[in-house]
Amino acid sequence: MAAKVKQLPSRGGTPAEKVYLIEIFKGMGITLRHFLRNLWDNSNLYVRHYPEVQPNIPAHWRGRHRLLTHSDGTPKCVACFMCQTNCPANCIMIKAGERTDGITEKMPVSFTIDLAECIYCGYCVEACPEDAIRMDTGIYAFTSSNREEMKIEMDEMLSLKGGYTEEEYQKGLEDE
Amino acid sequence: MTTLDIVMVIVRVSISAFVPLCFLAVCVTMERRVAGFVQDRSGPNRAGIYGFRAGGLVQNLADGIKLAFKEDIISEHVEHKFLYVLAPIISMAAAIISFALIPFADTLVLDGKAYVMQGIPWDTGILWFLAVTGFSVYGIILAGWSSTNKYSLLGALRSASQVISYEIPMGLAVISLLIVYGSINLSDIARFQGQNWLGFIPMWGIFLQPLAAVIFIVAAFAECNRTPFDLAEGESELVAGFHLEYSAMKFAVFFMGEYVAMFASSAVIVTLFFGGYNIPFFSTDFLIRNIKPVAFVMLVILPVFMFYFAKWIRRNNRSQYPRENDPREAEATVYIRCFWILIGVIEVFLLAILAFAQPDTAAAHLLVALMQICTFLLKVTLMLFVYVWVRWTIPRFRYDQLQILGWQKLLPLALLNIFVTGAIVVALG
Ligand code: SF4
Ligand code: SF4
Repeated sequence: MAAKVKQLPSRGGTPAEKVYLIEIFKGMGITLRHFLRNLWDNSNLYVRHYPEVQPNIPAHWRGRHRLLTHSDGTPKCVACFMCQTNCPANCIMIKAGERTDGITEKMPVSFTIDLAECIYCGYCVEACPEDAIRMDTGIYAFTSSNREEMKIEMDEMLSLKGGYTEEEYQKGLEDE
Repeated sequence: MTTLDIVMVIVRVSISAFVPLCFLAVCVTMERRVAGFVQDRSGPNRAGIYGFRAGGLVQNLADGIKLAFKEDIISEHVEHKFLYVLAPIISMAAAIISFALIPFADTLVLDGKAYVMQGIPWDTGILWFLAVTGFSVYGIILAGWSSTNKYSLLGALRSASQVISYEIPMGLAVISLLIVYGSINLSDIARFQGQNWLGFIPMWGIFLQPLAAVIFIVAAFAECNRTPFDLAEGESELVAGFHLEYSAMKFAVFFMGEYVAMFASSAVIVTLFFGGYNIPFFSTDFLIRNIKPVAFVMLVILPVFMFYFAKWIRRNNRSQYPRENDPREAEATVYIRCFWILIGVIEVFLLAILAFAQPDTAAAHLLVALMQICTFLLKVTLMLFVYVWVRWTIPRFRYDQLQILGWQKLLPLALLNIFVTGAIVVALG
């Protein structure tokens, strides 16, 4: 597809525009309008009063990771390393071990994601053949005062719940 | 010297020294809140003491405390430590004393003695302002040079050349004004503007000399290093320009100096072009002779004004989301009560004047002087608003554009203005 080109008329050539002052006054008129409207009643502001008013996070939004479990609570992950291989930020660290409960042969012994390095691209979710990792927790605020705490471990990710129902999540994937 | 003389000296000097400093808080808050509102966001309004935010004023306090307690670093590579420390002092001091010769009220007559309402009662007037603001660029140059840092030096160079090129149109604009006013004394200039033309148009500089007003205001913006002429600190190319190496309180002094200079130049613009302390249409004599009607009008207007002001506070000082027992409503109630108490006190004074004062007594003179000070400060605040408003509207000039505007546009216009003004003045005899 050819790139769409929009030609904007070049401005600033007419004598009236060259005087400059007139255009400045026009611009100042615009800013004054915004100022007076907001000064008159500051509920006209476009900003959200953030910590008190939370944004509405859609289902396909990529938030913090979580690991999914089977109905018996064991991890779905089979330690195939697909996500780790795919991760452009190299922030997933998996150690694989043997699985003894007979569901599969392998499972992760430890599964660490360094959220300080993660770029929230979602490739890990796409790469996973077992639908074992998702980013649907809806958690977008994650801070810490040191780097070590930004690494999240398997237990923590297993215990997180999805922020949406299954239908919402699937619909979100289609919307994406 | 009588006691009254000494008291008047103290009053005048403290007004001219402390009012610019007090206006710092107003300037900084206004800058931030106006910037916010122009961009449809709200600006700093969270910092508060026990929930009292005073519309963002408390933020200044927080910033001030932060800057005062920060570590004051002088980098190893700074060679001329004395000049390095001197630089912010120069720019702050020059900014404060440039306000010293600006009259903030008409000459006050008490006990048959006249007191010129300026910080320093000299008649050098506008020349003092030109000289002192020219001096303030030394602060910037010294800061840039002694920092031993190429960005600082570049910023200082830009600032120096800018001030030199804009001082010329500024001076020439002043000359054409002086032809009209016939005096360099700012008190005389302000008094001249108290007259009316045909009885209803105030004889303000902006009406007599519109071109000089535009040139002077543009040049004043450049002198203050304000956007659109803030190349000296163009943060995108020079990091922060001349004050790059300054930290903590030394930076704060630069920062305050900038705002005080802005205040002083607003005051000069108001004095030269917008009638100074004059209340439009009412001369000082008229006010003093009719002190009772004036007091009565104020008595009526103030509560009406306060009523609408209280409504505005109510509308704007509340949480913008559903909240039970909104503490901000309670906050607004406190503010409104404080303001009503203030208005009540003023009303009592006005009533006393209405009941006892005779025209042309000390009380009448004092009341008129107070009203003129308020008018003057109101006009200056409006001018400061223009400074802020322009800053958040216009992008920064490129360096060559700046010089072209100064030398090729403003300079010929200023010269032309002098010739035209001279011709008209000669023709009218
Ligand atoms: S979201 Fe992207 S960067 Fe983050 S862990 Fe997954 S693949 Fe790596
Ligand atoms: S999360 Fe998915 S892709 Fe990653 S190792 Fe486990 S099963 Fe493989």
